[in-house]
Amino acid sequence: MLPVCISCNFRMWPPSNYCSRCHSKTALENAETSGILIEYTKSFLPGNEGIYGLVDMSGIRLIATFDTSELSKGQRVKMVNCGINSDGTAFYLFEPFLS
Amino acid sequence: MRRVAITSCATSSFTKASKNTLLELACDPCVEILRKDNLSTKDIDAVLFSSCATDQYSSSILCEMMGIHPKISHRVDNLCNSGTNAVVSAYALIASGLCDSALVVGAEKSDSQGNKLQWDLTRGSFMFPVHWAAIFAKAHMRAYGTTEEEMAMVSVKNHKNAVKNPVALFRNEVALEEVINSRKIADPIKLLECTSACEGASALLLQAEENFHSLDNPVFIQGIGQHTNSASFANATSDLTSIEATKIAGKRALDMAQIKISDIGIAELHDAFTILEIMAYEDLGFARKGEGGKFVNQQQLAMNPRGGLIGCGHPVGATGIAQVAEIAAQLAGKAGNRQVKQCLHGLVLNLAAAGSSASVIVMGV
Repeated sequence: MLPVCISCNFRMWPPSNYCSRCHSKTALENAETSGILIEYTKSFLPGNEGIYGLVDMSGIRLIATFDTSELSKGQRVKMVNCGINSDGTAFYLFEPFLS
Repeated sequence: MRRVAITSCATSSFTKASKNTLLELACDPCVEILRKDNLSTKDIDAVLFSSCATDQYSSSILCEMMGIHPKISHRVDNLCNSGTNAVVSAYALIASGLCDSALVVGAEKSDSQGNKLQWDLTRGSFMFPVHWAAIFAKAHMRAYGTTEEEMAMVSVKNHKNAVKNPVALFRNEVALEEVINSRKIADPIKLLECTSACEGASALLLQAEENFHSLDNPVFIQGIGQHTNSASFANATSDLTSIEATKIAGKRALDMAQIKISDIGIAELHDAFTILEIMAYEDLGFARKGEGGKFVNQQQLAMNPRGGLIGCGHPVGATGIAQVAEIAAQLAGKAGNRQVKQCLHGLVLNLAAAGSSASVIVMGV
């Protein structure tokens, strides 16, 4: 779900109750859950390890988590789960589309 | 508008931790400025306190501790950009005629709130600054062939500069191999390519031209550029090899100063991670796009002469002020054993939160 402007249909990301373009109210709508992997790398930070990358879903960008290192820049990826971690941060688990 | 000069500066030692409170730290450089310039607290019209700490009413408490009763006093918080933002606000207060002088003070403890950004939902599970910096580095390497050695050389250079800086957190040189072989934090960024959270404080005295109490080598603020593109990483910059806010802020500052980037002889650039200094070379126009990595070894311009954030550490609210203090001291010919050749113009670039905002300040004599 993503806040979308009730007037101009602009998708607000990060989420907000007002549209940043026309300042009308937003309402939650189902959002696209696939996009393009713009860049990716691997974190070795203790307690915060993992493969991650920047995904662009028609202009909505976020840092996604991946369970695989078999990735390539520009490939299509899809969200398979999202939610809130125990430390309060968000997670967006993505995987590549099967070719 | 009235001309505004930086007439005094002081920076206390950047350290990992001490028993001092945030505001005790903040008093140190203020006392140094008042004493060395034989100033009265009545000479100060404004006190702006830069910090990401959430301590309540901190600017007023600082004023009371210092015995200053200013016309205007408040705290400025804009993450890593706080210090330069406070300088910009002080400039505006004086240039407009609202105040004749301003003491700009930055201080931070090591456990600052500014080190991890819980509010940015777009960062998912990878919230630390090193995570977005690694994405920038990967993209730059892929697009322009920038190498791990070129990035590591930024750390070698800035550590070398910091050896001469008595207030720097790290005062040891590091070899290229040491940087490259240091622990990987987020590929391709290694431990010795990152700044370090620390505590410290820095202060500047800004005065209107007609109100100088010290006429000894004033350095004028000649250009200011600031730009906020977003707060989130997702919307900070569309091209991951460049920071849009830096380009805009840099152009504004140079236009206001009516000079070109080729007129700048010395600069303090935000190098929280080595790739950021390389991107800054390109975004400000010191180097052509894609050639920032090769520019690291140039010898003509003094880049991060105090050691940058990598050599000095990064007490978030104090950093921007310490950057300005360094360029002011260098242009005034008062940088002691790290004085570089005399320059007419210098520049400071400071960033916050993945370059979602940037400040550029051009100074000159």
